[in-house]
Amino acid sequence: MTDERVEHPVTGLDETVHQRVRLGILTIAHEARRVEFGYLRDHLGLTAGNLSKHLSVLEAAGLVGIEKGYEGKRARTWITLTAAGSRALAEEIERLKQLISRVESTGNV
Amino acid sequence: MTTDSMSAGSDPRRLLSETRALAHRVRLDQRLTWAALLVLGVVALVAIPFDYFGLVERCDGDSCASWRRGSLFYWPPALLIAYGGIAFAYMRAARARGLGARVLPFVITGGVLTLISMVAWLLARAYWWNNPPADPFPAWVMVLDRLIAPAGTIGLALLVLAWLERNVALAAFTGVYLVIVLVPVTFGWEINTSTAASFVPPQVITAVVLLLGAAGFARARRRRP
Repeated sequence: MTDERVEHPVTGLDETVHQRVRLGILTIAHEARRVEFGYLRDHLGLTAGNLSKHLSVLEAAGLVGIEKGYEGKRARTWITLTAAGSRALAEEIERLKQLISRVESTGNV
Repeated sequence: MTTDSMSAGSDPRRLLSETRALAHRVRLDQRLTWAALLVLGVVALVAIPFDYFGLVERCDGDSCASWRRGSLFYWPPALLIAYGGIAFAYMRAARARGLGARVLPFVITGGVLTLISMVAWLLARAYWWNNPPADPFPAWVMVLDRLIAPAGTIGLALLVLAWLERNVALAAFTGVYLVIVLVPVTFGWEINTSTAASFVPPQVITAVVLLLGAAGFARARRRRP
């Protein structure tokens, strides 16, 4: 006899990714291929300090790469999604869809 | 967007909706559709005199063979330069906005189609120049011929761009453009002055459609908040 218990989508959520701002950062980085710090700050409505903290968490988890450089005299920081970040984002989106589907199927909306 | 952590009890629908909105916003900011259409429209317009003055025709009895020599020398380098220019413009504009660009598959598709078109022309020239067909080609051959001709390959490349940009408006525009290219508008009359002149009206229409598309997409972009 096999164990037919299906894991609830919530149990598979990664707390690093399952956070609105960090999910936003990963989404933008995924769509943009690479994104500049200022674009993230403006479109996520964050302060520079707050954004830096979230980026540090994502970088420590190996989900994004951060590259600092200059364009002329202007300092620019570019963020790219790593392969692990891309996988984590895809898994998170899938979990969210499963969660929505589960909630709708049980009628507890 | 706030910095609160999503707990298991948070609304996943809202989170997913915000994620989609962000992705859509990025795609909008990456687009430079009007520039791509403008460059391709100008290339199509400039092609007309090359095609007109570069066409060579040889008749043998009832059958004639024409060789669009001018087009062959003009289109491949012009299109390759155009796709390179479009890629540069996309990357530059996206970079100025703080983003990367999603244009490489479009440029590669355009370049490969240009080469296929050139090879097909050379093969057709090698075979039919000395063996002109006795009967007119069937309709499907003419449609295929127009599809692999430069104007047709532009349409195919634009479909790739529409897919990359998730741009429904560009997909619809390209659909109309391809219909115009594959089913040339004749207005019920023919220009019988020369073979070269008969190519001019559809070429003008093709170029004008691309340029009007460029103007339309540029206007839509300016109106966007």
